[in-house]
Amino acid sequence: MKGHWLALLALLLATVVRSATGQDPADAGSLALAEEEAFRAAAATVAPAVVRIEPGVATAAVGAGAEAAPATSFSTGVVVGAEGWIVTTAFAVPDDVAETVVRFPDGSRAVGRVVSRDEARSLVLLRVEALPAGCAPPTEWVRRADLAVGQWTIALGRGWDSATPGVAVGILSALDRSWGRSVQTDASVSPANYGGALVDIRGRMIGILAPLPADTAGMNSGTELYDAGIGFAVPYEDLVRVLPRLQAGETLRPGIIGIGYASRDAVNGPARVAVCRAGSPAAKAGIRAGDRIVSANGRAVTRVADLRHVVAPLYAGDRLELELERGTGDTATERIGASVELVARLPPWRRTVLGIVPTREAPPAAAAGAAEPAAAGIRVGWVWPDGPAAAAGVLPGDVVVAVRPAEAERAGERLALAAPAQLAGFVGGLEPGSSVILELKRDAAPVDVTVVTTVAQAGVPADVPVTESDPAAVRVVRLEAPELPEPVLAVVPDGAATEPLGALVWFDPPRGAVDAEGALRTWRTAAARHRVAVLVPGSSDPQRWGRADIGAVARALDSLRSRRAIDPSRVAVAGSGAGGQFAWLVAERLGPAVRGVALVGASLPRQATIEPAEPGRSRVVLFGGSATEPHLRDADRERLTAAGYPVGTLPGGEGGDAPAENLCAWVEALGVL
Amino acid sequence: MSDTMRARPARARGARLALALALALAGPVSRAATPGETIAGAARGVVKVYGAGGVRGLEAYQTGILVTPAGHVVTVLSTVLDSDTIDCVLDDGRRYPARLVGADPARELAVLAIEGEDLPALPLVADLPRVAPGTRVLALSNLFGVAVGDERVSAQHGVISAVVPLEARRGSYEAPYRGTVYLLDCTTNNPGSPGGALIDFRGRLVGVLGKELRASASGVWLNYALPIDEVAKAYDDIVAGRASAPVAGGGTRFDPALLGVLLVPDLLDRTPPFLEATRAGSAAAAAGLRADDLLVAVNGRTVPSRRAVEEALGALATGDPVRLTVVRGGAIVECDLGPRPAAGEAP
Repeated sequence: MKGHWLALLALLLATVVRSATGQDPADAGSLALAEEEAFRAAAATVAPAVVRIEPGVATAAVGAGAEAAPATSFSTGVVVGAEGWIVTTAFAVPDDVAETVVRFPDGSRAVGRVVSRDEARSLVLLRVEALPAGCAPPTEWVRRADLAVGQWTIALGRGWDSATPGVAVGILSALDRSWGRSVQTDASVSPANYGGALVDIRGRMIGILAPLPADTAGMNSGTELYDAGIGFAVPYEDLVRVLPRLQAGETLRPGIIGIGYASRDAVNGPARVAVCRAGSPAAKAGIRAGDRIVSANGRAVTRVADLRHVVAPLYAGDRLELELERGTGDTATERIGASVELVARLPPWRRTVLGIVPTREAPPAAAAGAAEPAAAGIRVGWVWPDGPAAAAGVLPGDVVVAVRPAEAERAGERLALAAPAQLAGFVGGLEPGSSVILELKRDAAPVDVTVVTTVAQAGVPADVPVTESDPAAVRVVRLEAPELPEPVLAVVPDGAATEPLGALVWFDPPRGAVDAEGALRTWRTAAARHRVAVLVPGSSDPQRWGRADIGAVARALDSLRSRRAIDPSRVAVAGSGAGGQFAWLVAERLGPAVRGVALVGASLPRQATIEPAEPGRSRVVLFGGSATEPHLRDADRERLTAAGYPVGTLPGGEGGDAPAENLCAWVEALGVL
Repeated sequence: MSDTMRARPARARGARLALALALALAGPVSRAATPGETIAGAARGVVKVYGAGGVRGLEAYQTGILVTPAGHVVTVLSTVLDSDTIDCVLDDGRRYPARLVGADPARELAVLAIEGEDLPALPLVADLPRVAPGTRVLALSNLFGVAVGDERVSAQHGVISAVVPLEARRGSYEAPYRGTVYLLDCTTNNPGSPGGALIDFRGRLVGVLGKELRASASGVWLNYALPIDEVAKAYDDIVAGRASAPVAGGGTRFDPALLGVLLVPDLLDRTPPFLEATRAGSAAAAAGLRADDLLVAVNGRTVPSRRAVEEALGALATGDPVRLTVVRGGAIVECDLGPRPAAGEAP
């Protein structure tokens, strides 16, 4: 079989040339048949390497999910070494499975033991004791550089129980998909041929078919696309490069740098470092908050996506050569090189603080409209009782002009401050226990104080300063938006549009529409004292909080922001009972915009996903009231603490009522740096 | 054009490669039909079938194939045919009332009859050899009902992915047909497409598109067609008024306890067939089977579930040797249990 593809190819070529030269414009039929023979010859060339993977140990549970997603079932592997090496995917051999049954083209079986995994590419290397006669690895493969979009691709799998491999034909749809980890084909790729071979029309290996996540399309499991004309294959060249490491039993993991970006846009945002995680590879390489990444491994970088294209294909342990620009505005920028060794995991991040609570900050748009330009530095509103700043003698009314590490040799890392977020980024990159020097202006005189950072505490300090104001100067506002079916009520203190308010969204247990009078009674005093706007949405279904209500809250917050300045660092959601559980889901959806969540008489909802805390993605969690199931709440505290979140107790709320005074004081305290 | 093309199948048996080469080399003298010509010729015999439906998400339309100039239409047996009035519409817009001649419930096929002049046909050639994986095919059907009036049905292209027994379900029900099907690499099976024609690039009718089904094992939607020999069996039986011929595959079950093999209780839909115990003095005990062995094959046939074990044993005849393949301590172990007893035989 192997010899005659050459003849076929010549034939094919002759046909194409004839067609192209106009000698025989109508011979599309012969071309189609010649191509058919070429497909089959290509499949036959690599068939001896394609094996069936049978789920030897208990398969993934089927049931409610079986209608929606394909379940673990027969899949495919490719022999990649004559000594019994077989590659398949994590779909066929999930993480908790150590061995599986391999069925060879001759029908015989063997147990394949998991030797190692490539977790960045969903591949698994198996070994069987011996290969049967006639079963052999592919002899030829195509280099990535020689692949071209539009060329024929043939996908081979053995998930179906037949003597010859299953065949699907398509074209190469794209190169460098999955951030450089795969190529894409429109040949039908499904659980039956995951782990199988993608070959060119000459039967040469292009790659291993794999269910890689299409996360930019919001699809994370990799199997959602099985019927969509979109299939991915890990290039064989990439596999060949790491095969010796896999054969040695090394598990390959995605590599992490340990930086957070200034922009929330994970694709188009500028590649400017906002936070550099303490103890991370980036920190060890001397990268700092404020640096701009201009190249990575020789590739020019301007946006976050440029860097991701370089980093995603790398593994933990790989080295990344970065070029950075440091310095802003008129000051001369310097170019710095940084050699970063990527790691698989960062230690859990815990937010570090100084114990300074700045005065309210207007959002950028409102500040721009203000009569006076924002003063340089950050004004201290109050200091956290018994916190490091209090111990160092920082006083309310001080203005923090700049911050720098206490070590004299790191004086060059001095950061001049204009906004609290800058100080948050600087402090967030430090280990707890680090010493920093705050350059203060106190009554116009410069004062330097040394403050030792500590891990952020969750809770409501006893003496949160209040604003003496008239509880009568608080009114219920109906927040309307074109997309809102019902206006959302908010209890808002009167004042200038530019006065920055805190914002709290409170969810009662679901009961449909909200009683405006009752809301005003509950919230007016606390809202006025702590200058907090309290949103009290109703549930669209009187029985339960639902998906539609989440969207309504987001739009109501936008509507509020268009009327009044809202301090971005003082936004929280809270609720009682089912409303408390719903508050957590709202916080998940709204992401970093929500700085705190309080659950009164509730534990986390079952569907809660707790992403590890990261700079810019951490929130304070308080539990209040009496828990109906204390053991669940203890488990929640453990999970949250392990993920790096500050967890504390909210006093009050035993009867399930809103502890209005404590919640509004807490919103003010969320501004702590 | 289409007449000469339809005459070709009988002559071409077993010599496809030679034909392809000959056609390609011969060039303009006797060139192969272009895909466009092939589709145009075959699609004349593919009709749009309208009947009952329109409630609870069920379509009121499907596809059929005129297989004789006398007006016999092969289609699938479905709720669309649960109607007093069934209409067939040709690609020239002619509309004929159809009569249900009969049905083969095992293959879920039916034959309709229409009466008209000059009817085109896409003939059933029963003795066409099965086509192999990699064969290029064209599917002609009225999927999603997009073709109306005198519009021709839609054409899709792909290859035969695999030739395998059907193990599928519709909702939670097992599909009745458990014989061989052609699995396709293109998305052919959708509302309206059942009953459509699967032709090869020479214009030969090689299969009929089946109803929408999911694979039992993985839950993925299947794109498949019944091979033409199975269609021909159903057609011959229906037209002759006979009971339908049995379908190969599927069939009876045999309780492995009769061999002394006691499996763990079947609690899940697909409980893996672990051995719980062997009965003392049984063939299983004599063959050295043990508790916690995982049964992976019966006489070479993969058995992912307890049900599959029973079916694989049922497919053997009384007296056939039984060989079980098990995984034990990370190794494959083969166990010979001797002849299979009769289903009713006491252990």
